[in-house]
Amino acid sequence: MQSPVVLARQTLAGVSNGMLLFLISAGLSLIFGVLRILNFAHGALFMFGALIAVSIAGMIPDPLAGFAAALAGGAAGLALLGGAIESGLLRRVYRAPHEMQLLLTFALVFILGDAAKLIWGREEHSISMPQMLAGSARAFGLVFPLYRLFLIAAGMVVAAGLWLMLYRTRWGIFIRAATMDREMLAALGVNTRRLFTAVFMLGAALAGLGGALAAPVVAVGPGLHVQVLIDGFVVVVIGGLGSVLGAFVASLLVGLVNAFGVLAFPGLAVVLTFACMAIVLVVRPRGLLGTAE
Amino acid sequence: MKGQYAALLAAAAALLVLPLGLTDFWIFIAIEVLAFALYAVSFNVLLGYGGMLSFGHAAFFGVGGYTAALVARQSAVAPELAFACLPVIAMLVSAAAALVIGFFAVRRSGIYFAMLTFAFQMLLYTIALKATPLTGGDDGLTGLKPPGALAQPLPYYYFALLMAGAGLYVLHCVVNSPFGYMLRALRASALRVQHLGVNVRAHRLAAFVVSGAFAGLAGAIFALSNGNIFPGWLDWTASATPVVMAVLGGTASFLGPALGAAVYVVLEVLISGRTEYWPLAMGVIIVILILLMPEGLTGLWRVARRAGIRAAPLPTREAR
Repeated sequence: MQSPVVLARQTLAGVSNGMLLFLISAGLSLIFGVLRILNFAHGALFMFGALIAVSIAGMIPDPLAGFAAALAGGAAGLALLGGAIESGLLRRVYRAPHEMQLLLTFALVFILGDAAKLIWGREEHSISMPQMLAGSARAFGLVFPLYRLFLIAAGMVVAAGLWLMLYRTRWGIFIRAATMDREMLAALGVNTRRLFTAVFMLGAALAGLGGALAAPVVAVGPGLHVQVLIDGFVVVVIGGLGSVLGAFVASLLVGLVNAFGVLAFPGLAVVLTFACMAIVLVVRPRGLLGTAE
Repeated sequence: MKGQYAALLAAAAALLVLPLGLTDFWIFIAIEVLAFALYAVSFNVLLGYGGMLSFGHAAFFGVGGYTAALVARQSAVAPELAFACLPVIAMLVSAAAALVIGFFAVRRSGIYFAMLTFAFQMLLYTIALKATPLTGGDDGLTGLKPPGALAQPLPYYYFALLMAGAGLYVLHCVVNSPFGYMLRALRASALRVQHLGVNVRAHRLAAFVVSGAFAGLAGAIFALSNGNIFPGWLDWTASATPVVMAVLGGTASFLGPALGAAVYVVLEVLISGRTEYWPLAMGVIIVILILLMPEGLTGLWRVARRAGIRAAPLPTREAR
């Protein structure tokens, strides 16, 4: 039996990593739900968010202002990049076969991956977290790193914001309608072209924000996007492609499985998440909260 | 048809004399082309004929390669005997892997099938990485070579040509058999075929196993020429390779993917010899390919032929 200290620490790590996973998988899931494109480049967008955050944080001397600007810049920069990618490239393949769509986003992974090396170099970067988040809190005789708590709070805020947007605004209605029937939505007079661009920008911005939030706790460098992408895929498959709530639940699940898998089977945590995915796919192929194809 | 046979004979003759004029380095490249041509065509039996996008076909190429490596390194029986059995063993092991993976994957179609196959490839990648006693882990298996004279590039080229040629011939027979026509029907409308009383899943699974077996043969051919095998063969970037080759050559023709494989391999050699940014170059090539010539190289003449009538549209999902 593990000590309560270890259990609490791993739970916190699992939940906070789950929140980062949610920021990736929510965008991945939204983009798939509306655009019907599986975005392989989503991990690369996350990496770009982290790299932009590193650059911005390096330019501003005041740590707290720098950190806030890094978060905003990561999200805004990726929204712009996402808008360019959607209107320049993805828009042309909506009616093309699956393999063309997959190859296009795959090509983006290679292009963005090498572009990151050209712009930021091959070395790993990091940013320091602001003083007020660097410490730790004590409760129930246990120690909690503040930044992990901050990540959880940030994830919750984003999740609540997404929920409000999806269920309480006009655009949210459009997005939910588009996941059900795009042609019908277009026939009803909604500008789906603009909607698609907006959804891809939103998904990219979430990935960028996730990257910026992760920058203080991961090594930001080439290769960061790979593990992120694989985890994101596992999450959306478990949660159900197109379901944001499913992405939320599955993110927490995968985050916790990873955190405790490391304790139980060191080195094999990845296999464990894949096993989770295989079980879900066999028992409930559409994912926990996905709708039928 | 007469013209096609003549072209085929000419191509075969060219492939027979080709290596005589090449340096050892380019003979290695030619062997790589042969292996990847078989790999790409085996992949396209699923995509071009059955309409199944396997995004984890590197799994079978890798399983074939690892099997070949393990057979080549064993010391229980004479190397010559082991080598003679190797193509069959590699195909059987890959077919078994395809049977297990396919059992789950063919339950879904479209993008979900692609994701499932991709996930299983990642699972095999992790196994290749972690099962160090068997696979050598991160270091892979090195120092592989065929026995006797076949260790020389030129004899091995002819061995690879024989294997790839036989593989392509069998696959050609498969896609032109009643089974092959059933695959085309499945691509057009699986629902309709199902209503005709055909077991759709069984047909999909059979196609998946055949395709996986020949991808495994291709992996075995390449592993022994390459001399090393690493988990990178099963890495996620590897899953796009056969797709790019098939689309580059054109998925609508049987040998199109083989042409795509040749162009891809030669481009990789030429570009990666000059710059470390080969992925960037390939990404740009893929984007151009998809936007400007989605029917691939073999589609160019079809496009040219009807250019006078109308502009070539992107093939729509409905049209497939």
